[in-house]
Amino acid sequence: MVKKLNLRDFLMSYGFAIIFALVLIFFALGTENFLSLSNILTVLANSAPWLVMATGLALVIMTGSIDISIGSILFLSLALANSLMLNRGLPVAIGIPLILLMGALLGSVNGLLIVVVGINPLITTMGMMFALRGLALWLTSGLVQNIPPALQQFGRIGLFKEFIILTAAVILVLVHLLVTRTIFGRHVMAIGNNPEAAARLGVRVKRVRFLTFVMSGLMVCAGGTLQIMQISNVHPRLGQGYEFTAIAAAVVGGISLFGGEGSIIPGLVMGGLTLVIVENGLTHLGASPYVYPFVRGGIIFLAMYADAMKSRVMARVHVVKDEELTTTVPA
Amino acid sequence: MSAVGLRMVNIGKSFPGVQALRGVDLEAYAGEALAVIGANGAGKSTLMNVLGGVLRPDSGEIYIHGEPAEIHSPLDAARYGIAFVHQEMAMLPTLTIAENMFISTFPTRSGLIDYRSTNERSAQALARLGCDFPPGTRVSHLSPGDRQIVEIARGLLIHPKIIIFDEPTSSLTRREKARLFEVIAGLKAEGVTVIYITHFLDEVFSVCERAYVLRNGETVGGGMIKDLTYQGIVQMMIGAKEVTSYFGQKAGQAGELALKVEGLNRTGVLQDIGFELHQGEVLGLWGLLGSGRTELLRAIIGLDPIDSGKITVRDHGNLKPIQPKDAMNWIGMLTENRRDEGLLLPMSLKSNISLANLRGLVTSFWPLVNGGLETSLAEKFVSRLAIKTSGLDQPVATLSGGNQQKVVVGRWLERNPTIFFMDEPMRGLDVGAKAEIRTIITELAQSGTAVLVVSSEIEEIMSVSNRYLVMHRGRITGELPGTADKDELVAAAAGNR
Repeated sequence: MVKKLNLRDFLMSYGFAIIFALVLIFFALGTENFLSLSNILTVLANSAPWLVMATGLALVIMTGSIDISIGSILFLSLALANSLMLNRGLPVAIGIPLILLMGALLGSVNGLLIVVVGINPLITTMGMMFALRGLALWLTSGLVQNIPPALQQFGRIGLFKEFIILTAAVILVLVHLLVTRTIFGRHVMAIGNNPEAAARLGVRVKRVRFLTFVMSGLMVCAGGTLQIMQISNVHPRLGQGYEFTAIAAAVVGGISLFGGEGSIIPGLVMGGLTLVIVENGLTHLGASPYVYPFVRGGIIFLAMYADAMKSRVMARVHVVKDEELTTTVPA
Repeated sequence: MSAVGLRMVNIGKSFPGVQALRGVDLEAYAGEALAVIGANGAGKSTLMNVLGGVLRPDSGEIYIHGEPAEIHSPLDAARYGIAFVHQEMAMLPTLTIAENMFISTFPTRSGLIDYRSTNERSAQALARLGCDFPPGTRVSHLSPGDRQIVEIARGLLIHPKIIIFDEPTSSLTRREKARLFEVIAGLKAEGVTVIYITHFLDEVFSVCERAYVLRNGETVGGGMIKDLTYQGIVQMMIGAKEVTSYFGQKAGQAGELALKVEGLNRTGVLQDIGFELHQGEVLGLWGLLGSGRTELLRAIIGLDPIDSGKITVRDHGNLKPIQPKDAMNWIGMLTENRRDEGLLLPMSLKSNISLANLRGLVTSFWPLVNGGLETSLAEKFVSRLAIKTSGLDQPVATLSGGNQQKVVVGRWLERNPTIFFMDEPMRGLDVGAKAEIRTIITELAQSGTAVLVVSSEIEEIMSVSNRYLVMHRGRITGELPGTADKDELVAAAAGNR
């Protein structure tokens, strides 16, 4: 009695792909340089750090949870490692792993508070968002710090865009494999479906949830390290609002906030690219930068609407099935 | 009888405020099917959750084939060869069939899941149950019955020594059920210990050799099935209560017209519905799932839009046409899904009862709820409906199903509806609670209320109704007198008149 709802299923699961295609076509026809190789490289290089940063958060969202502290985690990790590299002569080869380690560590604090102490994820990570930003501002005295010269130079090499795109691509593929092909990934999805059922089936719910928060902290620092080489300094507003950009990328890419649904490739990648492309395209159209947030908001609503439509269609499908089922009961 | 496959000794488990198990002993032999029977809250699911590693007992030991077993998690249980077939609700709908079956036991090859082997093995397990679903199908695309099949196949994967079936048949068709019983027979022949939990006593008689009956966390009886009777088991389940009340008494004669529905239509759902409901009668609305019963109730009380139709109710002695949106002024509605739609689970018993009547509790000039009045209102219904509770402030979530249902009834009673719609009022309740709800329905009718009852369980609806309406595919296809028998009802619901 397995029903194939091919067309409708396709529309619903790949609604974001259609939006993505429409956005591409719109800007390709509407502007001149949009499809030039150099602009494509620019778009990809701009998206690359964002996509990496959002992968960890995407895992958290797939379990049906949320983490809004990633921007502050990134700021504190970068601020600490950067001042050690600048002022204490810490070599870059240790500084960068330190950034990643800090991210994982701060993520594990989130995880412990949520999983062991049992505080609501939104509240925990909101507290961390304020607290970590405060710590980092205190550490940097609220000043702009340049990154070490070696990293600045690396960010200016000729093939830097290609490097950053390739690195991000490798990371994205790895996380994609983590989600689709490892036990951990399947358990993430299982918890997003129904944590009680998952526990009953033998999934170690607490451990997996803890690890998603560690990943969230780790990945924001991985992406942030790529980005910092582009912008060359650590400034007091670094990371502010990153969590919402990342959530937006995930949601636009079809990762359900209720958990259990969505993918890194193509989902998150398309979601993130859509956001960057729209801004890039608007620049080419010569639109005022002040309309960007408005357009972004519109896209998020569209994605959420598609999500809501999806669950409504699902519900209707169920009713039909019940009927079929019972009419086969012999009288 | 062959070797002892499983021995549970002196298992105790308490939850805050409840002693769920009080030292239960259980023995099961290899190659037999053992029924564990009990009313809701008797402790049978707690006991099985202990065995399945979902819960840790406070005391007691478990022996498997004579060896002491330490079961701390579902994975431990699987290691001891214990498979737990949950009801279909325990599924992960966005994952595939194979993923659902292997979620805690994925085979891997160098860290990555070996999907070829999971797909093959799940297809094999499904084939054993006579199914050929592609293992890559998402579970959300399966019907409840098919999900149950997948859940059973999951249990078979580990080649269990002990397999627990928790209400496996509630969503299966008759053909699937027969297939399941064959599989159980096959398992028994292989020497597997089958533990079978069900509400349906007739299945116990056809599947199991032996039974344990639990009540209030203790074993109260049992023995070889061939020595037990249906009546005897019910008596053990509900304890001292008179078994005759289980079969209930029907309400008296119908009085004046209370509700008249004419020409009600809703495209694709309801077609030309017309019927009359009288004071003092219990009208059974009978039909298969999906025949439009719930939709009809929802349309009359304005929860779903209608395309056309006329609804008349008796208001202070006069018949008066009304709009569906106003119908709730006369009609009380017990929803099909009391947990989701009818109750605010985390809130107290008191607030749940007063919720529908808050306006009547504001007695002063200030818009404040009169707390004293609220308490006395709640007390009134707790005693009138015999709700078992530790206090008025107990969260409704911690009440048993039957008592929750009574809370919903009580809430409506306060508004004195002249008409009561009850959608599946006894679903999921144990035998004792069913009897009590049945008594409440009968009393309501005797006091002159017009009651319309919907149920999928033919025995349930037959035990209360004075008259039947039969629905089939959105139409009322027949009306039968209270004397109609089971065969007539089944035939009418299937559409052969």
